[in-house]
Amino acid sequence: MNGDEPLEVVPVRHYRQWLAAAGVALGAAMLVHALLAKIPTGLWNCVTTHGQRRCSPVLQWRFHWDVVSQYFTTGPILRGLLMTIELTVLSMVAGILIGIVVAVMRLSRNRLLSSVAWSYTWFFRGTPVLVQLIFWFNIAALFPTLGFGIPFGTVFFKVNVLSVFTKFVSVLVALALNEGAYMSEIVRGGILAVDEGQVEAASSLGLTRLQTMRLVVLPQAMRVIIPPTGNEVISMLKTTSLASTVALGELLMSVEHVYNSTYQVIPLLIVASLWYIVISTVLSVGQFYVERHYAKGSLRTPPPTPVQRLRADLSGIGRKLRERPSFLRTATSR
Amino acid sequence: MSSPMIHAVGVRKSYGMIDVLRGVTMSVARGEVACLIGPSGSGKSTFLRCINHLEKHDAGVLNVDGSFVGYEQRGAKLYELNDKEICAERARIGMVFQRFNLFAHLTALENITLGPIRVRGLDEKVAIARARELLDRVGLRDRDGNYPSQLSGGQQQRVAIARALAMDPKLMLFDEPTSALDPELVGEVLDVMKDLAHSGMSMIVVTHEMGFAREVADQVIFMDEGIVVEAGAPEQMLSQPRSPRLVNFLSKVL
Ligand SMILES: Nc1ncnc2c1ncn2[C@@H]1O[C@H](COP(=O)(O)OP(=O)(O)OP(=O)(O)O)[C@@H](O)[C@H]1O
Ligand SMILES: [Mg+2]
Repeated sequence: MNGDEPLEVVPVRHYRQWLAAAGVALGAAMLVHALLAKIPTGLWNCVTTHGQRRCSPVLQWRFHWDVVSQYFTTGPILRGLLMTIELTVLSMVAGILIGIVVAVMRLSRNRLLSSVAWSYTWFFRGTPVLVQLIFWFNIAALFPTLGFGIPFGTVFFKVNVLSVFTKFVSVLVALALNEGAYMSEIVRGGILAVDEGQVEAASSLGLTRLQTMRLVVLPQAMRVIIPPTGNEVISMLKTTSLASTVALGELLMSVEHVYNSTYQVIPLLIVASLWYIVISTVLSVGQFYVERHYAKGSLRTPPPTPVQRLRADLSGIGRKLRERPSFLRTATSR
Repeated sequence: MSSPMIHAVGVRKSYGMIDVLRGVTMSVARGEVACLIGPSGSGKSTFLRCINHLEKHDAGVLNVDGSFVGYEQRGAKLYELNDKEICAERARIGMVFQRFNLFAHLTALENITLGPIRVRGLDEKVAIARARELLDRVGLRDRDGNYPSQLSGGQQQRVAIARALAMDPKLMLFDEPTSALDPELVGEVLDVMKDLAHSGMSMIVVTHEMGFAREVADQVIFMDEGIVVEAGAPEQMLSQPRSPRLVNFLSKVL
C-alpha cells in the first residue's frame, strides 16, 4: 500500500447505546399511546342500512382531551390563572425585599439586629407554610383590632384586622413572610460569595456602607442569587395552590370549582397542570436572560442564547456530515 | 513650617491577644515618597489600613494632613467621627491593593467614575472625561470598555491606580502593588508609580521592590514585629544598614 493515501477513519460503534436508545424510544411510544388512546364509553352507535342493523362502540379519549380543551381558556379558569400569577409575583417581590433586608441585618455587626434576623429565619423556615397560611387567615381571632402606639402606653390609631386581612391579603402575607425567610438565606449566601476586597476597595473610595452594599456587593451577589431565586419563583407558583385550602379563587380553586359540579376531576386537573407548566416554562426562559444580564464582567464571553446555540449546533452537524475525518498517513507511520 | 502628611507616634493595634502594631512612630512629609519594607507579618498592611481608617488603631497619635485619623479635636477633647465623616476622610486618601480589587461587574471606565460620581457628586460627563484622561495617563486609552476579567494583571493594577487618582487624593497608599504580578508585568506598574512620584504626590508604598525604593523613595522605613526599627534615606538604609535585623532582612531580599 502506498504511504501517501489518506487513511479512512472507522468510528467506534456504540451498540449498547443504540440498544438503550431503542428501549427509551419504545417507552416513549407507549406513553404517547396511553395519552392518546381512546376507550369505549359503554354506549353503542347503531345504524340501519338496507334493513341491516350495524352497531359499533362509541369511543372517547382516555384523558378526555376534548374536556381539557373545552375548559382550557374559559373565563373562570383564566381568572384563577390571573390570581395565581398575581400571588406569585407579589409574594416573590415582597419575599425578595424581605430577604435582602433580613440578610443585611443578619450580616450586621449589631448583635441585636443579627439575632432578630436569625430568629426570623429560624421561625418561618421551621414551621410548615400551610400552617402559617391558615394562621394568617385566622389572625382576626387572635387580634380583632391592631393598635399602633407605645407598648403599654397610648395607642395612636387602630385598624380592624378583619377588614384588612381579606383572604387575598392573608395568603399574600403568609407566602411573603415565609418566602422572605428562604430568600434571606439565598441573599446572604450571595453576599458572602463576594470577595472582601471589593468592600475594602469601595470603602477606600469613601463610599458609605449602604452605597457599598447597593452599588458593589449586591450587583455581584446577583450572579449567585439568581439561579436559586429562579427555583423559588417556580416553587412559589405552585405553592400558591395552597391558597385553595382557604377557598381563595386561584387556579387550583377554580378547577376544583368546576369539577365539583361536573365530576370531571382528572381533565380539569390536567387543565391546571398544563397552565402551571406553561407559566413555569415562561419563567425559566426569563431566568436565562436575567442570568445572562448579571453574568456580565464575570465571564470573558457571555453564554450563547438558545437561538445562537441552535444555529451553532446545526452548522456543527452540517460540518460533521460533510467532512468525514481522515488522517494523512505520514512517512513515519507504518 | 507646615504639618507633615503623616505623623505617627506610638501607634498600637492588636487583634485579640496578638499585638500587631506595638508603637509605630514615623513621619512622612508632603510630597514625599516613603517605602515601607519589612518581613511578612511585621504589620505593614495593618499600619497602612489604619491610615485610612479601614482599621481602627487602639492607642497612639496618628495624624494625616494635620488632623487626627478617626477623631476631631475640639478644645481638649477628641470626638470620634461618625461614619459619614470617616467616608469623607477616606475619599481623599487613595489606596491600591495587592490583589487590585477592581469592581468585577463594572468596566474599566465605570470603575474609575464610580467614586467621583457617587462620593464627590461630580457630573457624569465631567467624570467620564476625567476618567479617560487618567486611562490615557496610565497607558490604557482604548481599554475603557473592558471588564477586569478581560484585562491582564498589570492592566488591572494600572486601572486601579487610575481609580484611586480619580478622587484627587492628597495621599496615595500602595500595599504591595506588584506582588501579585508576573515578573514581566511589574515594570509597567512601577513606571506609572514613578511618574506619579515625580508629579509630587505624597505616597506610602509597601514593597519588596528594592530597586524601586532605591530609585524613587525619599525615605525608606523598615518595620519588624510591629515597630519601626530604622528609617532614613534609601542609599544609607540599603547600602549601610545599622540594625542587625535590617541587615538580616536585606540579606534575604536583595
Ligand atoms: N483581622 C485580623 N485578625 C487577626 N490577626 C490579623 C488580622 N489582620 C492581620 N493580622 C495579623 O497581624 C499580623 C500583621 O499582619 P499584616 O498584614 O499587617 O502584615 P504585613 O507586614 O502586611 O505582612 P505581609 O508582608 O505578609 O503582607 C499578622 O501576624 C497577621 O496574622
Ligand atoms: Mg501585607
